[in-house]
Amino acid sequence: MQTSTHANPRALRDIEMALERTKAEIPVLTPMVTAFGPLLAERFRLREAASGWVGPLPVVDAERFSQGVFVLADSGFQDMSAHLSEAAHGLLPIMANSFPAMAQELNTLIAAMDNGALTMDALAAAGFGEAFTVPGVNAETMDFAVAELVRPFVERQAQDLAKLVRDLPWRQTICPICGGTPNMSVLRRIRNDSEFIQAHGGRRFLRCSCCATEWTHKRISCPSCGCEEPDELVVLSDPSRPFERADACHRCKTFLLCLDTGELADIPDPDVAALTMLPLAHQARRQGFVPLAEHPWGGL
Amino acid sequence: MPKAIFIDTTRCTACRGCQVACKEWKNFPAVPTKQRGTHQNPPDLTHYNFKLVRFSEHLEGDVVQWYFFPDQCRHCLEPPCKEASTVDGAIIRDDATGAVIYTEKSSKEDLETVRSACPYNIPRQDPVTKRLVKCDMCIDRVRANLLPMCVKSCAMGAMNFGNREDMLKLAGERLEAVKKEFPKASLLNQDDVSVIYLVADLPAKYHEFAVAGVSGSMTRKQMLARIFAPVRKIGQQVRG
Repeated sequence: MQTSTHANPRALRDIEMALERTKAEIPVLTPMVTAFGPLLAERFRLREAASGWVGPLPVVDAERFSQGVFVLADSGFQDMSAHLSEAAHGLLPIMANSFPAMAQELNTLIAAMDNGALTMDALAAAGFGEAFTVPGVNAETMDFAVAELVRPFVERQAQDLAKLVRDLPWRQTICPICGGTPNMSVLRRIRNDSEFIQAHGGRRFLRCSCCATEWTHKRISCPSCGCEEPDELVVLSDPSRPFERADACHRCKTFLLCLDTGELADIPDPDVAALTMLPLAHQARRQGFVPLAEHPWGGL
Repeated sequence: MPKAIFIDTTRCTACRGCQVACKEWKNFPAVPTKQRGTHQNPPDLTHYNFKLVRFSEHLEGDVVQWYFFPDQCRHCLEPPCKEASTVDGAIIRDDATGAVIYTEKSSKEDLETVRSACPYNIPRQDPVTKRLVKCDMCIDRVRANLLPMCVKSCAMGAMNFGNREDMLKLAGERLEAVKKEFPKASLLNQDDVSVIYLVADLPAKYHEFAVAGVSGSMTRKQMLARIFAPVRKIGQQVRG
């Protein structure tokens, strides 16, 4: 298996440039980019500042792993509640500014944290799906906010864990680190110094909707049901943007967004790319397909 | 952000995929040619061939060494052709990418003036439109965030495209690696151009104009071009 991470000092500038390019190329997406762009940028800052996996890394049983048992199957991510207060005071005001309809609820959430009605432990638990209600905060808003709050820490820990399994075989369609479902795929052309001809298409990486880990997977197969029948697999794309597509499957009625970076001069951040592919996702939904896993903006 | 192409000739197998891909993207027709005893075909750059893989053979002891050189405009950081230009807006440099572009106004330029200013002997003229032509770094593709066609087509990883700083870094790393086997390896005019070549042997063995005459400073042609540019400009204005 090959895994891929994107830690590089220019990444924030790359995110901002990709967002600007999206606005210029697809003006109709400007409101979405304006709303979600600051969230993606702040998530990046939090991820870069996060400490990652603390202490000894878990021991991976190569045999179990190769049979499909992901790294955190018996444990889960480390507790990040100690960092959530500071992160929340950075992220939630940005979200309140970007999503005015939620502003009041998000401010209520901040107030609940400040007066102790919402503890950081409860917040972290809510980030992993444990039900928790705050008076005056809609359940959907709560889920959205805490998921985005916890995500940078999860992603940073996953970056450290991915190194453990880089050279181990993994043929599953769930994430090798956390068992999450992919919400997009990326075809990446990896430069190598081999003396032989290099494939133009690049390898297919599935990207985890939970921790953003990327892992290689075969190109021609539905990641949901494994279907490899050409007649069942459909590719939806816009001819003017051939590097973006939605891979859909008639058998299980799911689709997965795909970014083909082989022809791109500047490779955009995958989250920005997925946001840019919103019209494609919409087209797929209209044709009766459902996403394998959602992006934060998926329900819009 | 300025872009650059890094051409690692040590990886080039002279498949000429880049040459063909360039023609296809530009929708250029075939040019009449004939067998001249070399795979270099056509023999030189033309108004329909902005990219040409040059072949040269040299006898090294008892062994014939074959050298491949995918020739094209270097997109100079300070283009001598632009300096030599006498028509405003005929030759421009795109600040965003660093691409040197010949516009339709170049039909009013004198080919020999511009061509003699180029240390790499690149500019050609369309005989019908009289427009000066050469590689434009696939500016249409690059502005759409796509790789130049020659880079996209390269199956050997010889052609690379990206931000200039990244390409310089890659070029430096490759030079270091290649030098272990080929001590004469060098990068050609990397401080002056946006198309950086890595060659494993003396540049002259690859192509007469592989490298500018005087690295890091102006060639005689460039210097003369700059000196006479105002005079030519006046002459151009007088002629209308």
